[in-house]
Amino acid sequence: MGNDNYYLGADVGSVSTNLVLLSEKNEVALTLYLRTQGRPMQTIQEGIKVLRSKIGKSAKIIGVGTTGSARQLAATLLGADVIKNEITAHAVAASRVNPSVQTILEIGGQDSKIIILRDGVVSDFAMNTVCAAGTGSFLDQQAARLGIPIEEFGQLALEAASPIKIAGRCSVFAESDMIHKQQLGHALPDILAGLCQAMVRNYLNNVGKNKDIRGPIFFQGGVAANPGIRKAFEEELGQPIIVPEHFGVMGALGAAYLAQEKVGRQSELRTRFRGLQLGEIQFNARSFECSGCANRCEVVEILQEGSILARWGDRCGKWANAVGKGTYKGKSQEGEQQGA
Amino acid sequence: MKIGFPRALFYYDYFPFWAGFFYHLGIEVETSPPTQRQIMEDGLKKTSDETCLPLKLLAGHIQALKDVDAIFLPRMVSMEENTYNCPKFLGIPESLLSAVPPEIPVLSAVINWRKGQRQVLKDLRILGMQLGKSGAEIHRAFLEGHEWQQHYQDSRGGEWDFEEKMREIEYVTRQTTKTRPQNFSVQLSENHQNCQKDLKITLIGHSYLVQECYANLNLLQRLREHAEVNLIQHVEREDVEAHLSGLRKKLFWSHAKQIYGAGNKFVEDPTVDGIIYLTCFGCGTDSMVQELLAQRVRKHHKPYMVITLDEHTGEAGLVTRLEAFLDMVERRKVREGYVSAYGECLDSHSNTL
Repeated sequence: MGNDNYYLGADVGSVSTNLVLLSEKNEVALTLYLRTQGRPMQTIQEGIKVLRSKIGKSAKIIGVGTTGSARQLAATLLGADVIKNEITAHAVAASRVNPSVQTILEIGGQDSKIIILRDGVVSDFAMNTVCAAGTGSFLDQQAARLGIPIEEFGQLALEAASPIKIAGRCSVFAESDMIHKQQLGHALPDILAGLCQAMVRNYLNNVGKNKDIRGPIFFQGGVAANPGIRKAFEEELGQPIIVPEHFGVMGALGAAYLAQEKVGRQSELRTRFRGLQLGEIQFNARSFECSGCANRCEVVEILQEGSILARWGDRCGKWANAVGKGTYKGKSQEGEQQGA
Repeated sequence: MKIGFPRALFYYDYFPFWAGFFYHLGIEVETSPPTQRQIMEDGLKKTSDETCLPLKLLAGHIQALKDVDAIFLPRMVSMEENTYNCPKFLGIPESLLSAVPPEIPVLSAVINWRKGQRQVLKDLRILGMQLGKSGAEIHRAFLEGHEWQQHYQDSRGGEWDFEEKMREIEYVTRQTTKTRPQNFSVQLSENHQNCQKDLKITLIGHSYLVQECYANLNLLQRLREHAEVNLIQHVEREDVEAHLSGLRKKLFWSHAKQIYGAGNKFVEDPTVDGIIYLTCFGCGTDSMVQELLAQRVRKHHKPYMVITLDEHTGEAGLVTRLEAFLDMVERRKVREGYVSAYGECLDSHSNTL
């Protein structure tokens, strides 16, 4: 079976770690959605184990792309061919799924963004600034407080007869407003629908400020699973909202497409993928404070069975660059400085 | 006598004047070291939560000045006719006295060009009396300072490197008592301003943010690795004035005026591929000027991004935004190269940036 070649895309975010396998024929062969739970390294390894058990023995990974806030960590562990920021990855995935898409609304666990495309190219974007009020974690938290599973949140919101108004600017205000309304006796679906509307309002005022939102509009990211939010967007924008089939893993899908672009272009290029057995390898991370200068950078070290794989976090790059060139000799460097 | 000069806020625009002034008077000037973590942390502890990052950094730099006879904190009210500096400049030194170590005295002077040179000299003579200098000496020192400032401003533009220039000036100000170290040499940064770069990006923002490479997480250097970078600080005053038209009312803050005028010049420049506005959380003047510029940018369909700084030390957020912005500018540039048969850009119908 020569067609068993796949491109792997990995999106390691704050809340979820997503893996996508893309076949050479541009078919999505497998998607995995795992909770990161603050342990990105273990989650990536867990994902690779699951992936290995699901694909055939003859399957081969011929290209790897990583994205998400832990894209560097993921790239080190997996051996990535492409490392890209989330915005480009999301835009690439959406425009490959539907080349006519002009707006992408993306709401993830800890951040939200809007991407404006024209003719398949990003022409503007924005990410949330200081405020994370309109993101998935806040919905998670509120669902937990009200004792309803997050999966049922949106469905309940759709049952609302008359959504109530909730202050959406800040999650602290929103929560206290919700509690007051609930103590007055408002029905749960009305409160949930009100929260959805408040979130959408906040998103459009904050992230979507001054953006030329035109259809077709894609809604992706984990929160797109929530039909309540989708409906609130449709009402606010007066346009249909399309939730693509793989809405939850679009970042990873984009990374896989980018890997395909890169590896596919140069056929002689061999992937740097470290192999499916990496689920079994022992990886460790540790950090230390460098005392070389007053900046006292927090340096992170990734170890594979005791040997250093990568380092980052230092401003001057002396630790990062020392990897692979023997160990860094702090002593001799200090000597040079004294002599200078 | 040795005067401590904090490397923050007014340092970035007016240090050459003060360096020349004190040099003429034979007073040694010691600047605080470049910002590092300890300076930032010390600054945060000694200022109110309401104030902006540059002022917090100033508080940190004040504390970093050791072994000096006095700390110099001028009240720079106005630098030219009909303009003022930001009110936070005007509150110095009183707003920062809590950051000054108790055993070190504070020297201050009012600079207010709004009332003309006569008033500036009069105010400087008050400082002169504290320093035991005559009125004539102060006048000559003023002229020397003026010359240094002029020289500094004339030297800007092109291959110019801020830090390098400042090192030169700082070196001279220390020379009054110290001997020249054997191996002293001004290092030319090799990796800045490479004119071969395809992309041309303008970085807009206050001098004390753009050149503050610790607080801005090395933004300028990062940008220069990918693009030719223009700064508004290098735009001549006449050029700034020429681009202020279209405003219904005059801008009376010096920095706001410079940012809007010079920013406008780059907005209208068709060779500029993208504009990044660097601001800090809670900046009053930026909140308005940023919006004014954004409106102008939209008219010219230019990629535009605002980066808001605060006490961040995690680079991930900045790096993601910067990468995505550069990706966008690059991809857009490639596409806009395809001019349609009708001779206009494909996206000219769009109002999007």
